[in-house]
Amino acid sequence: MSTYTGRREFLKRMAQGAGVATTGGLLWSFLLGQQRHARANMLRPPGALNEPDFAATCIKCGQCVQACPYGTLSLSPSGAEVPIGTPSFSPRDVPCYMCVDIPCMQACPTGALEHDLERIEDARMGVATIDHESCLSWQGLRCEICYRECPVRNDAITVENRPRRTSGHALFVPVVHASHCTGCGICEYVCPTEVAAIHVLPPELVQGKIGDHYLLSNDAEVDADGGPSASPAGDHDAVPGLEYLNEGER
Amino acid sequence: MSITRRDFMRDAVAAATAAAVGVPLTSAEQALAKEAESGWRWDKGVCRFCGVGCGIQIATKEGRIVATKGDPDAPVNRGLNCVKGYFNGRIMYGEDRLTEPLMRMKDGRFDKKADFVPVSWDRAFDEMERQAKKVLDEKGPTGLAIMGSGQYTVPEGYAAVKLMKAGFRSNTIDPNARHCMASAVVGFMQVFGIDEPAGNYDDIEEADTFVLWGANMAECHPILWSRIANRRISSDAADVKIVNITTFTNMSSDLADLELVIKPSADLAIQNYIAREIIARDAVDKEFVESHCVFATGPYDIGYGMRADSSFAYDAEKDIQAKELEVKLDRFEAAGQRREPGEVVKQTNRGSAGKHWTISFEDFKKAVEPYTLEFVTELAKGDPEETVESFREKLEALADFYINRDRNLVSFWTMGFNQHQRGSWVNEQAYMNHLLVGKQARPGNGAFSLTGQPSACGTAREVGTFGHRLPSDMVVANPAHRAKSEKIWKLPSKAINPKPGSHINKIMRDLEDGTVKFAWVQVNNPFQATANANHWITAAREMDNFIVCSDVYPSVSAKVADLILPAAMIFEKWGLYGNAERRTQAWREQVPPPGDARSDVWQMLEFAKRFTIDEVWGEQKVPGLKAEGYEDGKLPDIRQAAREMGYKPDSTLYEVLFANDANRKVKWPDPVAKDHENHTAALLGDGWFPEKALFDEYTQFGRGHGHDLADFDVYYRDDVRGLRWPVVDGKETQWRFNAKYDPYVKAPDFEFYGKALKALPQGDLDKVTNPEKSGLAGKAKIFFRPYAAPVEQPDENFDLWLSTGRVLEHWHTGTMTRRVPQLHRAVPTAQAFVHPDDAAARNLKRNDVVWLESRRGKIKAVLETHGRNRMVRGMVFVPFFDEGVFVNKLTLDATCPLSKETDFKKCAVKVYKA
Amino acid sequence: MASSVGSWARRNRYLLARRCVQLGVLLAFYGTLHWGWSVFGEPLLAGNLSGSTLLGTIPLADPFALLQILMTGHVPLLEIFVGAAIVLGVYGLVGGRSFCAWVCPVNIVTDAGEGLRQRLQVKSGFRLPRHIRYVVFGLSLLLSALLGVAAFEWVSPIGILHREVIYGIGFGLAMLVGILIFDATVLRHGWCGHLCPLGAFWAQVGRVAQVRVAFVEASCTECGDCLKVCPEPQVLNLKAAARAGMVRSGECTNCARCIAACPEGSLAFALRARIRSVPPIRPGAAAPP
Repeated sequence: MSTYTGRREFLKRMAQGAGVATTGGLLWSFLLGQQRHARANMLRPPGALNEPDFAATCIKCGQCVQACPYGTLSLSPSGAEVPIGTPSFSPRDVPCYMCVDIPCMQACPTGALEHDLERIEDARMGVATIDHESCLSWQGLRCEICYRECPVRNDAITVENRPRRTSGHALFVPVVHASHCTGCGICEYVCPTEVAAIHVLPPELVQGKIGDHYLLSNDAEVDADGGPSASPAGDHDAVPGLEYLNEGER
Repeated sequence: MSITRRDFMRDAVAAATAAAVGVPLTSAEQALAKEAESGWRWDKGVCRFCGVGCGIQIATKEGRIVATKGDPDAPVNRGLNCVKGYFNGRIMYGEDRLTEPLMRMKDGRFDKKADFVPVSWDRAFDEMERQAKKVLDEKGPTGLAIMGSGQYTVPEGYAAVKLMKAGFRSNTIDPNARHCMASAVVGFMQVFGIDEPAGNYDDIEEADTFVLWGANMAECHPILWSRIANRRISSDAADVKIVNITTFTNMSSDLADLELVIKPSADLAIQNYIAREIIARDAVDKEFVESHCVFATGPYDIGYGMRADSSFAYDAEKDIQAKELEVKLDRFEAAGQRREPGEVVKQTNRGSAGKHWTISFEDFKKAVEPYTLEFVTELAKGDPEETVESFREKLEALADFYINRDRNLVSFWTMGFNQHQRGSWVNEQAYMNHLLVGKQARPGNGAFSLTGQPSACGTAREVGTFGHRLPSDMVVANPAHRAKSEKIWKLPSKAINPKPGSHINKIMRDLEDGTVKFAWVQVNNPFQATANANHWITAAREMDNFIVCSDVYPSVSAKVADLILPAAMIFEKWGLYGNAERRTQAWREQVPPPGDARSDVWQMLEFAKRFTIDEVWGEQKVPGLKAEGYEDGKLPDIRQAAREMGYKPDSTLYEVLFANDANRKVKWPDPVAKDHENHTAALLGDGWFPEKALFDEYTQFGRGHGHDLADFDVYYRDDVRGLRWPVVDGKETQWRFNAKYDPYVKAPDFEFYGKALKALPQGDLDKVTNPEKSGLAGKAKIFFRPYAAPVEQPDENFDLWLSTGRVLEHWHTGTMTRRVPQLHRAVPTAQAFVHPDDAAARNLKRNDVVWLESRRGKIKAVLETHGRNRMVRGMVFVPFFDEGVFVNKLTLDATCPLSKETDFKKCAVKVYKA
Repeated sequence: MASSVGSWARRNRYLLARRCVQLGVLLAFYGTLHWGWSVFGEPLLAGNLSGSTLLGTIPLADPFALLQILMTGHVPLLEIFVGAAIVLGVYGLVGGRSFCAWVCPVNIVTDAGEGLRQRLQVKSGFRLPRHIRYVVFGLSLLLSALLGVAAFEWVSPIGILHREVIYGIGFGLAMLVGILIFDATVLRHGWCGHLCPLGAFWAQVGRVAQVRVAFVEASCTECGDCLKVCPEPQVLNLKAAARAGMVRSGECTNCARCIAACPEGSLAFALRARIRSVPPIRPGAAAPP
């Protein structure tokens, strides 16, 4: 047994280890990647961090599931579309009933469900979207169950009256306002159509963004009298380029 | 092409819906839809639920309803439905549908304490016959009772009235419509002398001001509400305003321009404030009032419709019950009645609450004088958080709407007015203000009473399935009316019992004290829907009586019954309904009833076969009967007179009342049926068409008396979507009492031609001064009615008001809508709506399970602080559809003493954690 | 018969004890969730092995899971640090890998795999160095850092088994069947003995463990029975054990199979502080035969 063979053996084992680590690591990364991007439309409990942070922080202990008095939450089984072991809910089965004391969030030991959510109305689990074509109310029937059962009714869902051209009946169309929709999914749960005409999806799948460079005027800002009539007073000295323009071509 | 049956159905429904709203379909989609619809039979029908009366179209295939849609041609709803109506095709297919008779039996014999076992129809009728004959013998005809319904079809209600009043000579038949419309009826009869609204739904398109008085139309009359909403948003409409007067903020407030949240019963004072304002601002339409109206009033000391003695009261109930005889006036009542606060007033006019006399305009003016803006604001403001100034401004704005001559104003009301301890008064007050400013019986102007049941108007009221009524507004107490009915019914003279029968609340009390021993529940669920239910359930189960319940699902009433008869549902039988705007609509039998279920008409007719006139038309005892021409306490023997009319002693009631010669001429099969069945006719098997025969016989009562209906076949014509009576010369009537529209008006402009209660003595505000009656033909009465405080109010022990009512998703006691999984899922339980501060003060939060307790019982419910109904502090609301949250165990069975309609809106409860 | 059952039970007393503890922990979680078990009104043990709350107040957490979360660059709530510290402290006392033998439910599976291997008389073929688990351990942390998720927690059969038993969900059992077959047919003591990074983590904690298997060389006959039953035979270096008076390696799971197997009673549990280390044997002294 020379030191040479010992060293060779050592190097061989090093190489073996590195090989195992590399192949294993790659395979493992692939698995994790698959998991991480598993399903875009599952709904997390209230207070959940954004998906990457949630994925990192959730320890999959299920204490939120246990704390929910309605059996809303479940940990996803392996093989499901949702990242394994993480909590989510399907509102058509059981929606979130928006407990005032948010017990699921309180139970989270890691902060994957952020504890600084004070009012359940501020939760943003998802956003409801309406399929106008299968929504009874959009078709003129007096349904609006989603509106009446919405826990943040008049903020998250409002009903707008629109004329129905074919008769003297107004439509009562439900309209969702993402700024107040908690994504609790009660609307989806109670929708009486065969397949729900209102679905709750994670906000990022639904919401657009106007762009930071433009702000919409809100109604309160609009001056009904037409606004100031005088032309704005200019500070001529500060006009950029003025110096250049006044510079002669000589 | 391979398409599953499910795809077929879905596509077909999509096509139907799309067609209704004018969305174009692709040709491929249309072809698919056509294929799916092949073999479907479409026919017109009516929605099973509320009093709006939406038309629907029903598709059937192989004995099942495969689809429904809103009828695009129906003027009420133009192809729309509410979400209950959306499920019309599903209500019959609940898993626990009753399909065979069930009786409490032990060892082959009826045993009240035993469990239900299936029995044959013969066995069921045998027992009913035995029990009924026993009771007839022991108690006389009034020991037999029917608890009927505003959901009866016209032929059903007519058969029930005729069986009871002409057959058994019992007036102990009263419908659940008593709980719903009776105060409106008293209002109509006392003010106009004829029942039912002058206006119709077309008022909506003509009015620019809508005032809701205790009517949450957004939830309870959904399709009418969408018409009002359309009027509100139409760009060409004038300045349309909606006022919601309510005891808490409800869904109708969402669309309201003006919301007045008031204290319970304060509506009485607000109406008087408006009247005072109309006079003070000299806005009375003098010409209209002088030509068409008189002023009137009646006694104030009329009690609260409770039992007068405490022998049946629970100990906890006794303090309130004692007020039935003696009431200490609070300062608001005292001011309105020109008495001293704290004065104790004996309720001496309990038995004569309906009497009234004319007064002068000067007296009327004096009477409304105390109802100043300040006084009424203090009395009426219901939201502790609202400022006095804000409420005063609202009251003034409300008065402005009435007074403004340019405004067309319609008042709508339902249960907030009708279910009221002074429900008849407040109905009369609604007309008071409309008549004062002449805004009545004109297009877009009128006080309009809405109904809650599909045929509360068409059957319960028009047919007269009440204890005191006969068809077409006639009453048993009136000898001329009895004579007329006996003539049409071909009865011997004095066949009809002149003593009015018990109202439905009293039938319950009669069961409790053993006066009624045989009760038949038809097309309703009174044991869940009657206030103070613990008493009646105990009476049904513990007393020696026999209760039959014809029902379609195992309801609370079925559960407490002794015999359950499986009934056919709406589209399993022929029928007609009359909605709130006097529109009579008809449908054919679409599908056969399941199992051994049978129509109510068949059940009554079969039962009638078991009694000969010899058995029932002998001398009969009627305790308390006192009438001119009758021996006290007795109905005379009319068997000899019957024989003289050609009846044989062993003729059965079936032969005499129903399958008589005239009716047998109405043959089944009939071309009007097209290819539809009639299981009732088929089972009777003697070749006549009972629904048509009964309807056509019934029309004899109203023709020529302002209640004219068209012939049976007319309502089934393809081009007819119901007709509003009176139908004269084939034309329906839109606005009654108005010469332009109503053929009965002989005067040049208006004539309130109703004949009832049109001869009155004269008096002042307190009493009759000249008992000589003078006629008021053609006139309407403007009543003064004072404010009266609710008999039970929150105190330190029961510290919250409780009001009950409906939600859009469920109808009445939920027996049908709770069988539709989607509706049950949407609203699975009746929540207790409470103000968040009231909840917090009791350490309660949203979704907590709480106890609600009154003097009469306690129930558990889930607390809701942010629901569709936003309560004011001090007020709790619980819907009554849920037998699991049996709110009528809490409610007080006080009624309007005139109408005997229960006040389900006011009692005192406490709420605490369960 | 009774006595044979009794002697079997005596022989297998540690096995029975371990199964009781393993199943007991699982049952405590299960009962708290499904049957509302509580003590003084507080839920007995809510959660699972990854994180839980004892009696509604005491947080418990898997320190390795916490380590992975930290590697992702996230700093979770204090609660989980406290929970991890408590768990770390407890296993620091009773032996890091006591978790493996006494609490981890996968141990039941891998024991079954070993049993199956013996019954089927599978010959060892494939071999892998035991220290591969440290590579897996390192990979767990590296991948956590690179991918931003707690890498092992997302694939851990331990978590899967526990969650699926407690929360009653699906397909994870397939993975455990995989481990069973792997252990039985491919690599002896494959999962727990070679691959599991959690085992690797606890092995390092186990270096300071207070509860140890003490070894009395004097009575040892070197029959080798202990080595036959040991799932981590490399820890039973009897020479080193003789010097230290105990099995020192953190990789020992304190499973007590060797204690039960030793016919001479040379092995027994003892507290580290009570074990007297034997002075080094003089050179030249006769080695036991």
